[in-house]
Amino acid sequence: MSTLEQLKLELKSLGKEYAKIKTLPESERKSFGQEINAKKQKIIEQIKNLESKNTEANIEPIDITAPFDVNSKPTESIKGSKHPLMVELDRVIDIYSRMGFDVVESRQLDDEFHMFDALNFPKGHPARDGYDTFRTEEGFIPPAHTSTMQHRVLKQYKNNLDEGGQIAVVIPGRVFRNEDVDATHEHTFYQCEGVFVSKDATFAQMLGVLKNFFEAYYGQDLKIKTQPGYFPFTEPSIELLIEKPKSLGGKGDGWLEMLGCGMIHPNVLKMAGINPDEYKGFAWGGGIDRLVMLKYQLNDIRYFESAKLDFLEEF
Amino acid sequence: MKISLNAIKKYVDIDIPTEELVKLIGSRLVEIEGTIDLSEKYKGIRIVKVVECEPIPETHLSLCQIDNGEGKVQVVCGAPNVRQGMLAAWLAPGCIVPATFGGENFKLDVRKLRGYESNGMLAAMDELDLGVDHAGIIEINPEDAKPGNDFAEVFDLNDVILDIENKSLTHRPDCFGIIGFAREVAGILGKEFVEPEFLMHEDVFPEGFLEENSQNGVSSKNCSIDTNIQNPEICPRYSCAVVEIKNDDLVNKKYLTKEDIFLAKADMHGISKIVDVSNILMLETGQPLHTFDYDKFIAVGGTNSPKIGVRLAKSGEKLELLDGKTIECTSDDILITSNDIPVALAGAMGGANTEIDGGTKKVLIESASFSLYNLRKTQMHHGIFSEAITRFTKGVPAGGTFNVMAEAVKRIGGQATEVCDNYIGCKIAEPIQVSIDNINSLLGTNYDINLITTTLENVGISCKQDDQSKLTVLAPYWRTDLHIKEDIIEEVGRLLGYDNISIDYPKRPFIGAEISPILSLKTKIRNVLSDKLNANEVLTYSFISEKLMAAVDQKIDSSYKIVNSISPELQCFRQHIAPSLIDKVRENTKSGHNNFTLYELNQISSKEFGLDEDNAPITKDHLAILTFGDFYKVKSIINSLCKNLNISILVKNFIHQEEFTYLEPLHSADIFVGEKYIGSFGEVKQSVLGKFKLDAKISVSEIDLANLLGQEKIGNKNLKVSKFPFVYRDITVKVDSNKGFAELNSSIESVLKENSLIYKVEPSSIYQPENTSNSKNISFHIAFSNSQKTLQPNDISAIMEQINKALQTLGAEVV
Repeated sequence: MSTLEQLKLELKSLGKEYAKIKTLPESERKSFGQEINAKKQKIIEQIKNLESKNTEANIEPIDITAPFDVNSKPTESIKGSKHPLMVELDRVIDIYSRMGFDVVESRQLDDEFHMFDALNFPKGHPARDGYDTFRTEEGFIPPAHTSTMQHRVLKQYKNNLDEGGQIAVVIPGRVFRNEDVDATHEHTFYQCEGVFVSKDATFAQMLGVLKNFFEAYYGQDLKIKTQPGYFPFTEPSIELLIEKPKSLGGKGDGWLEMLGCGMIHPNVLKMAGINPDEYKGFAWGGGIDRLVMLKYQLNDIRYFESAKLDFLEEF
Repeated sequence: MKISLNAIKKYVDIDIPTEELVKLIGSRLVEIEGTIDLSEKYKGIRIVKVVECEPIPETHLSLCQIDNGEGKVQVVCGAPNVRQGMLAAWLAPGCIVPATFGGENFKLDVRKLRGYESNGMLAAMDELDLGVDHAGIIEINPEDAKPGNDFAEVFDLNDVILDIENKSLTHRPDCFGIIGFAREVAGILGKEFVEPEFLMHEDVFPEGFLEENSQNGVSSKNCSIDTNIQNPEICPRYSCAVVEIKNDDLVNKKYLTKEDIFLAKADMHGISKIVDVSNILMLETGQPLHTFDYDKFIAVGGTNSPKIGVRLAKSGEKLELLDGKTIECTSDDILITSNDIPVALAGAMGGANTEIDGGTKKVLIESASFSLYNLRKTQMHHGIFSEAITRFTKGVPAGGTFNVMAEAVKRIGGQATEVCDNYIGCKIAEPIQVSIDNINSLLGTNYDINLITTTLENVGISCKQDDQSKLTVLAPYWRTDLHIKEDIIEEVGRLLGYDNISIDYPKRPFIGAEISPILSLKTKIRNVLSDKLNANEVLTYSFISEKLMAAVDQKIDSSYKIVNSISPELQCFRQHIAPSLIDKVRENTKSGHNNFTLYELNQISSKEFGLDEDNAPITKDHLAILTFGDFYKVKSIINSLCKNLNISILVKNFIHQEEFTYLEPLHSADIFVGEKYIGSFGEVKQSVLGKFKLDAKISVSEIDLANLLGQEKIGNKNLKVSKFPFVYRDITVKVDSNKGFAELNSSIESVLKENSLIYKVEPSSIYQPENTSNSKNISFHIAFSNSQKTLQPNDISAIMEQINKALQTLGAEVV
């Protein structure tokens, strides 16, 4: 009989011995119980020790650095991936959602009216040239900015205002510029637009909302600064810059141009049936591709639309 | 656009460091992309006199001794125009050649040329980066300088050039002139602006000016020249004068002049006095001028005195321009005519027939304002991108034409013999009412009326305080961009500094924001496909080539076509995403990837979808999946996806061959959710794969996401849990090879259901012996339990009996 088997028998007999407790007087029961318990614990420990030794003896060592075991087939280690632009867009949308913005997706084919006219671009105005738009045979436009959705969103959510509320919507989407593609230029890219309208919206609130967004996005307090800009659909118009965040190697000196924004032009509100004397609003739009390129220090924008697994599997 | 800081300082006193000024301009007017410190660029260059000059035999070189103000130095010079007695610019050893400044920074030293020691060099225009001329070294007028003088000091090169990002000044024609830009700088700094006299001696509309001469719909004054403007919309104002000139005014100047330097700072070059006067005035005021040869002008028209016309061109009308090219006009081009014969393409370029040349005795100077819309079309159509048309396309204000023309006459030094000012289309600016509350409630500020008034008046916007809370504002003529109160609010915010506005937050009710259902569906799909099914998400272009469409046999005519793409690959808006995925397989296999699954979520469109209520094309959100493997591989992906999305799908016979032209019809199927068709999947045709040089089996699916929306099963979970033991049985049937699996499967399930059992039915094998084609064996693994009791052997055999019967009625033989 092996030691292990003997110990197991002893453990069993302890059970029988324990049953004697009922025959003892009340006063001795406690110390008797403790004694038996101590014995029991000791035996259990001995059994455990023996068992673990046995286990170690039966198992062959393996090479943990090898990809698979001897005499077996390679196991595949594959990983799916989400597109980094989509992941980032989701993150951006998530922050705006938590701030209280509804989300409406932009469209990829639109017309001259939504792209320019409804945004207060005078007909034939040179400001239209700056957008390098593609055109279809019918004169439709694959939009060059997500602002193409402003008019629709203002109309769609106008009821909010009539009911005493506000319009707060962000509009992510794919946009297009007719230009040659190189490491820093893509004809296809992503933007996220924001629109806010209320009775008492101010320029100061716009700065607050956007500063807040970038602070949430980069997870730190950030300084912001502005540059005057020109967009026919906002007045005043500015470019917003943020202090280069620490996560991008910022040391409190550099600035990053993040987006264009401004107070919605009264003509834009009017065209959507909103009285500009009663309501004011602000709007902004910025690129998503650049956020991703900065984040991962990518130096070639062409990867995004390349469908190259060598690139995508990194994400 | 490059602007000299010294030029700005002529009009405003700047007492802050350049770096600070650049920051201020950046935050309150326009981004400055960079600065160039000319004092560094021209450091150490001296004006010297060539005191001896001997040719070096058998070379084109001359051995010169120069007086640099301190003594004699020897320099070897290769320029043909070097001669004893001239003043030149000397780059001493140690100087950087200005043309290489900021680039290779080429530093001169002492070196031997043909055995002669040469100390530095005598410089030509191109080496000094002041022009392109390399025919000879520059010569300096002894009246301007003495040997030893610092070149930069004499020629105003201790200066800083501001490189301005002018795209965001599209609406500010006034800032395309130094004076206008300086006025803004004064406004930003809160400093007094020194208005140049020539812009003050006559206001836009002097008293009585409009009443003076208004006949036949033409408003003009001093009209000794006949001008006829076809339509005030295309040319609100045309001012012109005739001036006699001296011959010297037309030839290249002998000496380097301050005008050359002034022009060079803006990347322009001195040409002749007449041309330089026009160009300098344009740089200063933003008002382009054009100069005609007067005699040629009237000769072309065959008249005794000028008969000037401004009209739209007739389509196809031809004109030979100054650069020798003959253009064919469109009906949007504006022409200047002499007795109706074209002599210039307005705002863009003069005609060859009235070009000034060495024989010109009199010139006709034109200073006008043209429709920016027409000129923009002219610019685009004829590809003319001169300094002048760049300014005209911003909308040169009509208010300034006459004064600038008068100044040009004065600077040429002649006397106008004839003058005309036709301001048929001029409009007086409407006053703008704005309240202090309007301003503060839009900006979120607390500015008082006096601060606002001073700020606006600093940049020439006149303000009348109606009371303590209201202003009536009048925009000056050069501010053609100010029309409504928001324009004024912008001026106040900008000039006082947006960065000085303290941030605030909107007040919002606690209402949960809406997340677009389609976006959250996409996120869920992404999570399942990438995280659970190991697929790779890709993005590909929305526009594809006709070649790709042809390769998958799609109807090119149904696609919206791009007509102006720079890239030849972008032709059609895609109708499906799957072809783009097929197109991306080979490149990935070439870089060693195999057996992958790609998917993309994106929008597609087709002319067949028609237009929406806004008359814009209807677009749809699609999901496309591509995987290596056969029909059943892609089917399992779709099944897993939909199970994870909690959506029940039905796979039905493939009837969408016409839409899915690239799928093998016998190995494809349609997907339904209830009665709704949502998409198809199947194996890509061999013939299609061949066109993409693919040999492995590839299967794809394309699904319309709109039809998946709201299909998630919610509540009422059919839990397959029982506290009584499950019974497991295997059953194999032999059926005709055409018999569908689903039919057999559901007949088993319906028996189990009728018996109110909790059950699972799973196929364990589908076997068709290689030598038979008319029958196959299907084995099912069946598990069932009763939620009320433990099933007894007789219960079980009764159920199995029913199942056998049900299968037999379908023609199956239980084996």
